[in-house]
Amino acid sequence: MRRWIEANTWTLGLAVLLAVLLLATKLIQPGFGASGLDSLARAALPFALATVGMAIVVIAGGIDLSIAAMMAVASVTGAVLMDGASDGQSLLIVVGVLLLGLLMGAVNGALIVLSRVPDIVVTLAMLFVWQGVALLILNAPGGGAAPWLRAMVAGGLLGMDWLPRGIVFLAVVTAAIWLPIRRSRLGLRLYAIGSDPLAAFRSGVPVGQTRIIAYALCGLFAALGGLSVTMGTGIGEPIPGPYLLASVAAVVLGGVVLGGGRGGLLGPILAVFILRTVRMDLTLLSVDPNVAAIVEGTIMVAVVMFGAVVATRGRKP
Amino acid sequence: MKRLLLGTALALGLAGMASAEGYKIGISNTVQGNGWREEMVCAMKAEALASGKVESLNIAHRNTDAAGQLEDIRNLIQAGVNAIVVNPANADGVNAAIKEATDAGIVVVAVDQAVTEPSAYILSNNQEEYAYIGAKWLFEQMGGKGAVVYMRGAAGAGADNDRDKGFKRAMAEFPEITIAQEVFTGWQQDQGKQQINDIIAAGVPFQGIWTSGIDNVIVDAMVESGAPMVPIVGADNAGFVGQLSSVEGLQGAAVTNPGSVGGAGVALAIQILDGKAPAEKTVLVNPELWDNVSEEGKAKLAAAANPNLSPEWPVSVSIPGWTTYTMDQIIACKGPGE
Repeated sequence: MRRWIEANTWTLGLAVLLAVLLLATKLIQPGFGASGLDSLARAALPFALATVGMAIVVIAGGIDLSIAAMMAVASVTGAVLMDGASDGQSLLIVVGVLLLGLLMGAVNGALIVLSRVPDIVVTLAMLFVWQGVALLILNAPGGGAAPWLRAMVAGGLLGMDWLPRGIVFLAVVTAAIWLPIRRSRLGLRLYAIGSDPLAAFRSGVPVGQTRIIAYALCGLFAALGGLSVTMGTGIGEPIPGPYLLASVAAVVLGGVVLGGGRGGLLGPILAVFILRTVRMDLTLLSVDPNVAAIVEGTIMVAVVMFGAVVATRGRKP
Repeated sequence: MKRLLLGTALALGLAGMASAEGYKIGISNTVQGNGWREEMVCAMKAEALASGKVESLNIAHRNTDAAGQLEDIRNLIQAGVNAIVVNPANADGVNAAIKEATDAGIVVVAVDQAVTEPSAYILSNNQEEYAYIGAKWLFEQMGGKGAVVYMRGAAGAGADNDRDKGFKRAMAEFPEITIAQEVFTGWQQDQGKQQINDIIAAGVPFQGIWTSGIDNVIVDAMVESGAPMVPIVGADNAGFVGQLSSVEGLQGAAVTNPGSVGGAGVALAIQILDGKAPAEKTVLVNPELWDNVSEEGKAKLAAAANPNLSPEWPVSVSIPGWTTYTMDQIIACKGPGE
């Protein structure tokens, strides 16, 4: 038990911080309840899915700057095809969009592995490529989303009204994809190539192949994120949203080391909810919007610095 | 004596009710750091202050997409505002949150761009007409033939799409007009200037320039390059309006696209909260065209020019019949309690 707590101090700390923030929200706005939690969950969903995708690549020692653009491609593809489609058809479309995400991510990964150009350069270039693709598919916001898909993230769970469906959706999807991988050899390999690619190579890990898989998984979660934007808005948006920097920030705040090899997914997800709650509180307090951005950034830096201090203190004895 | 006491109590009670009437209004906007949108937000603050009926403003003003605006509107619902004035990121994408707001009894007014949610009131600049009257004037100046540089706004933005419809409608009326180059400025000054410099350097022949509001830097580029001046259409931004009367040889027209529509939106929201809802749910503000060729246009340009405004701000800082603030109030950009 003690070992488990020690290994997960950072995540536990984030959970406590989130609880404190939610309590503060309740103090600021006594009416804050199920509907507030629901809107928080819906706001966090695309950010959380993007963050999970980013976290996987970062754990594997990379970074994907094209994540928001891939989300846009997935969002417009889904919205264009689903416009006027039947329920059965839209289920197929969702599967197709997820495969498209895997493919886009795999293209990113393959380009990095084959060209040996640094990941930051390749994915920066691909950011523009995917942005163009999204605009080619749909040059202005439009399309539609199947009602059953939109209902998946709206409101509370049947029988448990306080539990937003958005959170259930996020938990189910992430666990279904990540847990089997994490427990398998592939999970170990992802951490290994992030921690030390040379050592991993010498231990017989197929580094290139694992890297491509990491990017493909990132693409898959980007597609989920893009679909969640469409689920929320009911349309496809060709212009990428603010998900790139937000996901990197949440990954760092969530305790994933930017060099790779260390961290989990729960921390980054908690970090997303913390950042969304801060944004909500700033709106509730009607803080000057220009100041609000500064406050958000300052909180991020302060928490990460505080964490670094705690980590070095903890290592001494 | 008894009657006096009763009267006093009644008067005090009424006074108490009057002061408790202060409304709480929420604002949601998704483009930050753009002169037009900043003027819109300042107009909202100034109108809220000038009305004397608004107790506080909750402003969600940042760069984000429709999904982010859904979050902002829902946060404003949580904050318990009486009305929300929103410049929608697009026409359909924020309907879900607007419906939640109106279901909760909150008055929602969309300004600048329309939304398709029927429970919202809309007070919008007519963007299609904006492009149409400017393009028509430009094509007439070009003598009905020649090539035009078409400098659009941001790809995928709702207002840009509406303007494209108007531009194409004017094109259809002038079959001998062709498009020399079509670019998206993203409504960014630096990007637009780079693009026009590239077009001049490439030697593409053109006889006119239509801009979607990134205008004064285009005139600068033409003057700096020494290229022969062609007719230019822009918006009523202070910088461009100044150039229309000062730059030699420049023939141009400014089409009004008042950012003060935000102030009008706040005024409309207050009217509805006061129980005076308009008969129509949609109010369109039609643009005007001020050219520096006709006497009438020149007079309007001279009247509108204001050196105190930032060059990126539209000069039409108020909308007659809607806004009640003074010029000083909007420049001060202070809302209630600031």
